[in-house]
Amino acid sequence: MAIFSNDLVLELPDIKKIEFIKINKNYLKVILINLFLVFSPLYIGLILLHQLVFTKEINEFIIPIYSVFTAVFGFVIWYILLSFTKRKYALREKDISYKSGLLIRQITTVPFSRIQHVETDEKPISRIFGLASLSIYTAGDSSDDLVIKGITKKKALKIKEFITTKINE
Amino acid sequence: MSNSFDFSNFSRQSPKGVLVIYINLIYKVIRVSWLLLFLLVKDFSKVSKIGANYIYLGLALLLLFLLARAYLIYKNFQFKIANEHFILKQGILKKTNTSIPFHRIQNINFKQNIIQQIIGVFEVSIETAGSKDTEIAIKALPLLKAEALKELVSKSTEFNLKEIIGTDKKPLVRIGLKELLKVSLTENHLQNLVLFLAIVIGFFQQIEQIIDSLGRTEALDGLIVESKNVLSVSFFFVLIVLIFLTIIALLSSFVKVFLVHFNLTAYLKDDSFEINQGLFTKKSIVLKKQKIQNITISTNPLKRLIGISFITFKQALSGKVNVKKDKLIRLVGCKIAQVEIIKASLFNVTELEKGEKIYPNSYYKRRIFAFTFLFTISIYLVLYLIFLHVEILYAAILVFPIILFLINKKVKKRFYKITDGMLLVGSGLLETHLTYLEIFKVQNIKMKQTLFQKRSNVADIIFQTASGKIFIPCVPFEDAIKIYNHTLYKVENTKTSWM
Repeated sequence: MAIFSNDLVLELPDIKKIEFIKINKNYLKVILINLFLVFSPLYIGLILLHQLVFTKEINEFIIPIYSVFTAVFGFVIWYILLSFTKRKYALREKDISYKSGLLIRQITTVPFSRIQHVETDEKPISRIFGLASLSIYTAGDSSDDLVIKGITKKKALKIKEFITTKINE
Repeated sequence: MSNSFDFSNFSRQSPKGVLVIYINLIYKVIRVSWLLLFLLVKDFSKVSKIGANYIYLGLALLLLFLLARAYLIYKNFQFKIANEHFILKQGILKKTNTSIPFHRIQNINFKQNIIQQIIGVFEVSIETAGSKDTEIAIKALPLLKAEALKELVSKSTEFNLKEIIGTDKKPLVRIGLKELLKVSLTENHLQNLVLFLAIVIGFFQQIEQIIDSLGRTEALDGLIVESKNVLSVSFFFVLIVLIFLTIIALLSSFVKVFLVHFNLTAYLKDDSFEINQGLFTKKSIVLKKQKIQNITISTNPLKRLIGISFITFKQALSGKVNVKKDKLIRLVGCKIAQVEIIKASLFNVTELEKGEKIYPNSYYKRRIFAFTFLFTISIYLVLYLIFLHVEILYAAILVFPIILFLINKKVKKRFYKITDGMLLVGSGLLETHLTYLEIFKVQNIKMKQTLFQKRSNVADIIFQTASGKIFIPCVPFEDAIKIYNHTLYKVENTKTSWM
């Protein structure tokens, strides 16, 4: 594409050359605990249904039902384990990037000059491990902005501080 | 002119505002309780005399209460200008104090509904890009005061309004009755029909619920069954319904266009557009060029035939999810020359016109094909399983060529052009949309790549702007990286403020 000929500036930011940092390993535990908290009530519910509600006709298929349920659970865990290592972020002089996704790879970059505000929050289970998440909001439909989950609280505050000073420059 | 009004102390709106607020309150009450009122009027003869008296008394009390409320709202609504801030106090029991710095104000609009037109006051609304709570509407101001306020606010913003007398006399676009007729004839009737039907269905559901509660469902059910039988035997009936729907579609287009765009005039000023339009509710919008995030020029085959298109100006939205329709400002019935003038006044498009269109990778076409065919096949499967008639599949002979045609159209209309500072994205199915964006106004940028896309070495790019997303599908990966880097470079090195 000849259109880009005037782009040969030395300070041109190149997304391919950034070194991304992986998020804290402890966050994997947080995700898994959260997953168990969701699945175990479902499992208990299924057992209760099996014992109390289901008729004989349904109970004939009870082994496939259980195995499908377990398979879904197993698949989710497998996917989380594989995709976890893909969650990475990078902080540069003028912007912050986050990439994630195994089947759908996604990378988002927000320049500091467009940030409206920065938020850190700690969910209960994350707090046990001293982790926090960092949300960055820009103008417009902010549902799709950048969120980095699972970095240590210290680091989150540090990044927040860094960005705040950059914005006010 | 601005000296004749003192905004440094708290002042109220025009006393006529009480009336405007009062009628607005009554309207709100009626809108909430119209079904109740309807039932009341219907069965009024059955109510005993004493009962009727109570009803009258209740109504009178309600009206009095609303009047008192309107007066209190008026009394407690005060505003002033201090220190480059617009300050507003309001609230009867819950007092709110709002302060908006001038540079956050996106635009100041004048509006007049019928009542406001009769008593000769203007509604002034102050829009910001912030949260919804900071949207302010002063219900009634005399024209002179409203203009003085507008002038004061817009003067104090970073750039001065250099209004040259005489330039704003000649409008850039003026749509008369005849043009408006053309515009409404070439509207997207299908869309209007769907909109209209949605409203009608919503309305009927409300009525049905009431009838349900009155225990008259059986009669209605009988009616429906009867008409279903008629429907299955009579092809003629279907034809009539079709004609009827066409007429409704045309009519709803007419009504919509005439209500909103009646007497449309647009002026081009140094740094802003001024747009006046509306039949019952006259609206005057001042659009600062700097605040416009992107524009979309759209046309459809019918409109292209008579050489008109419409322009949608998009401004920054509030951060909340519900998209306010007000922020999309539409200029209908623009001729090609007018479109060019507007484009040239907003951006530097000369370079863009020279650039060549870049169409998405062939993967894009394959993806759409795959998705639509999966979708249609599953629909056919479901239909077949429900009706168990093989005849259903005959329709496929008609449906598949149409789908093919539409996919081809869609793929052909997808393109992008990029220059140093501008981006142009083309899209559309039957309509054609051209979206112009200044690259430095991007808020953040995202790149997505599925496993399949990785195999074809393409990626999607999503530009998030303050007024929504702009999507370029299936760009070759190398180019996508270039665009990504270029956008970041532009955003990070442009000092101009994005709004």
